[in-house]
Amino acid sequence: MTPVLQARDVSMVFGGLAALKNVSLDLDEGKIVGLIGPNGAGKTTFFNCLTGLYTPTTGQVLLKGDPLPGDPAAVTDAGVARTFQNIRLFPSMTVLENVLLGRHVRMKQGPLSSLFHGPAFRRGEAAARDRARELLAFVGLGKVEDELSRNLPYGDQRRLEIARALATDPAVLLLDEPTAGMNPQETEAARQLIFRIRDTGVSVVVIEHDTKFIFTLCDRVSVLVQGELLVEGTPDEVRGDPRVVEAYLGKPPEEVEAELQAVQEGEQS
Amino acid sequence: MKTAMARPLSAIGSVVLIIGALLPWATFVLNDGPYPDKATLEFFDAPFGLSSFRLYLEILGLAGIVFTFVPVRDKIRVLKSIGWGAAGISVVNLLFIAGDGGGLGAITAADGVPAFGSIVAVVGSAVLLFGAYQLPPEPLTVIDSKLPWWAEWLILLAAFVALLFLITETLTAGGHSGVSDPYIGPLFLSYLSAVGALLGVLHAFGVTEWISDMSERHRVFSIVVLVLCAVAVPFTSVGNDYWMTITANIGVYAATAIGLNIVVGLAGLLDLGYVAFMGIGAFVAANLSGAVAAEFHIQLPFIVAAIASGIVAGVFGAVVGSPTLRVRGDYLAIVTLAFGEIFVRVSQNNIGGLTGGSNAIPNIPDLSLFGAQFNDAPTIGGLQLPGGVLYYFLIVLLVALVMFVFGNLKNSRIGRAWIAIREDEDVARAMGVKTGKLKILAFMTGATLAGLAGAVFAHKLATASYDSFQFNQSVTLLAAVILGGMGTIPGAVLGAALLFVLPEELRQFKDYRLLFFGLALVVIMRFRPQGLIADRHRRAELADEDTTGESLDDTAIKEPVAVAAKEAGA
Repeated sequence: MTPVLQARDVSMVFGGLAALKNVSLDLDEGKIVGLIGPNGAGKTTFFNCLTGLYTPTTGQVLLKGDPLPGDPAAVTDAGVARTFQNIRLFPSMTVLENVLLGRHVRMKQGPLSSLFHGPAFRRGEAAARDRARELLAFVGLGKVEDELSRNLPYGDQRRLEIARALATDPAVLLLDEPTAGMNPQETEAARQLIFRIRDTGVSVVVIEHDTKFIFTLCDRVSVLVQGELLVEGTPDEVRGDPRVVEAYLGKPPEEVEAELQAVQEGEQS
Repeated sequence: MKTAMARPLSAIGSVVLIIGALLPWATFVLNDGPYPDKATLEFFDAPFGLSSFRLYLEILGLAGIVFTFVPVRDKIRVLKSIGWGAAGISVVNLLFIAGDGGGLGAITAADGVPAFGSIVAVVGSAVLLFGAYQLPPEPLTVIDSKLPWWAEWLILLAAFVALLFLITETLTAGGHSGVSDPYIGPLFLSYLSAVGALLGVLHAFGVTEWISDMSERHRVFSIVVLVLCAVAVPFTSVGNDYWMTITANIGVYAATAIGLNIVVGLAGLLDLGYVAFMGIGAFVAANLSGAVAAEFHIQLPFIVAAIASGIVAGVFGAVVGSPTLRVRGDYLAIVTLAFGEIFVRVSQNNIGGLTGGSNAIPNIPDLSLFGAQFNDAPTIGGLQLPGGVLYYFLIVLLVALVMFVFGNLKNSRIGRAWIAIREDEDVARAMGVKTGKLKILAFMTGATLAGLAGAVFAHKLATASYDSFQFNQSVTLLAAVILGGMGTIPGAVLGAALLFVLPEELRQFKDYRLLFFGLALVVIMRFRPQGLIADRHRRAELADEDTTGESLDDTAIKEPVAVAAKEAGA
């Protein structure tokens, strides 16, 4: 079975800086893949390559076997939706309008139909509203659809962003740090939500700092360090890998001490 | 402790205000002017003379006393509105009498005649205001009740008729027919202050928002009633040639402002050369009108010429809009500014021979319908209508059409996408909005509407001249949109009306009128950045600055009536 989303040897160079070096990733249908790594490892850059915001310098991204179009709007149309690390809702649109905007790409009314508001327009609009309300209920925001999105509490804004992304009927959902700033209860709710999204047949890629969250959520985990793929495997494989421990926690204390000693000896001699 | 002083102060202020209104206001007698019987400052001594400004002050003073002691919601806003209205009236008349009456003597005492009325009134309103500001701030009242549809229709009908009355009264407050009345300026400003106070009080009670939400719910009905009200205007006190011309001009600019509102208010693209599209429409219509100076000697029916104007302007809109794919924000403003200047230079120098250069294209034939010339004064069923009334009706039709386009597009997939682009273009693109196409579409739609307005404008004026489409017109239109309230139809109409009526009414102040005008803009923008009639979205965006910043849920004081009505309905 071909993976839904496949990155093949993706490299990204900004000027002289290589942000990504030959990163590959396979996302199978109905799976959750986690992407972890320290700050500056290139996780978000990689995400931007997957959503068409950046075109990889070399390598390619395939969606259901076809190369990804070069334009973010077209990528969304093709079935990849995302959320943002720093929540980016349309702050002064209502909750419902935010989700309706996500529905934009699946609605077909052109300028003339929008101008005259004919029967077909009304049907399409009503259908979009129904779907949007359904999604709001799905993420647990059914009661606040007329609230302005900027007035929602933080956790609800995160969920609204997910609802907006789901409104584009994606095959793949990319979540950029969905639990950043959340307390344990909210994090648990987010985990359950992601499972439920997976159960509807959407494949998910999650970037997260919280390794515990990733290891209990994902089917497979990739670790990026300094633009390179360090390890890829099941959560158990990755958790036990000494290179991951080193990348995340630094070297074990005894090794650091040994190195320090070596340096001091070097200075003395 | 502070609040303890509030009531006594505002009560005392109100009483002083009433006393001030009853005292004589001027000592001097003015000897010149076109109306000998009125051309005297004794006019300001008559208790409730033609000016009525003292009547306004009496009413405001009484209202001040009543609302000080009767428990009302949001007392601070109510008293503030009353205080500012009274202060406006007092100061305007004080300055006018002092200015025209020869200085301080005119408002204090001279030749044994004391006249301290204006000063007392100013002091009274100041004390009232001071008292009002001691009150604790309250969240804005929100009336959340929904009535049966017929009741809401009746309320809307009443509101619009009241609005019509208010508007015609505003227009004629300084006298009729544009004949130079020496008191036109202060009379008009006094009236405006009083109306401002009234609207302020209604706003504090949540009535204005309630009605505007209601009209949102019954959009089609509201538009029909508004159009009917507009059609009724020629049959009211402003039904004369002078006001027909002024209101027709307002209409043309209002239509153009609504078009600009699509570009600026919805899509958030700053366009500083917008009036050029109106110019393009005007020149296209002029050239197809059969005017002697036109390049093409053909006379197309007006409706065809108008559509052609719209299409040509729309094409130019798309061309000018295309840089928006690459250029954002300030840089886009410069691109559009440059386009506006190019248009002015090209038409001034008659490059291409289509604009008549500095001679313009004069003598554009009057429109006619079933043999009736549009500039004539028709008689319908023995009722003599003012001249130019047919143009007025045509322009009402134009404004209605533009409103229809704006309203329908705003509430559609495309309008939502425009607003999303305004809020966060990158995210809009990431959500699948084809931002490039949509931005060009915004420019095209706005330009087409401006082109249509331009075609009507050319026939109304009978001339198409580059001079009518200069940069300052673009800026005035932009000011109309921002002042009125971005993204709303009534906002654009009100903005255009204010910007084109105020200079007319302020002629009294001669060279100072633009100064006053500019000051008024600064004041409005300082105290109401979201515009006079704000969009629901933008209202929220900027509301933080004048409320205490609580979330909507906390600030909304639900009407008990509303809750009861909901329960009854459920």
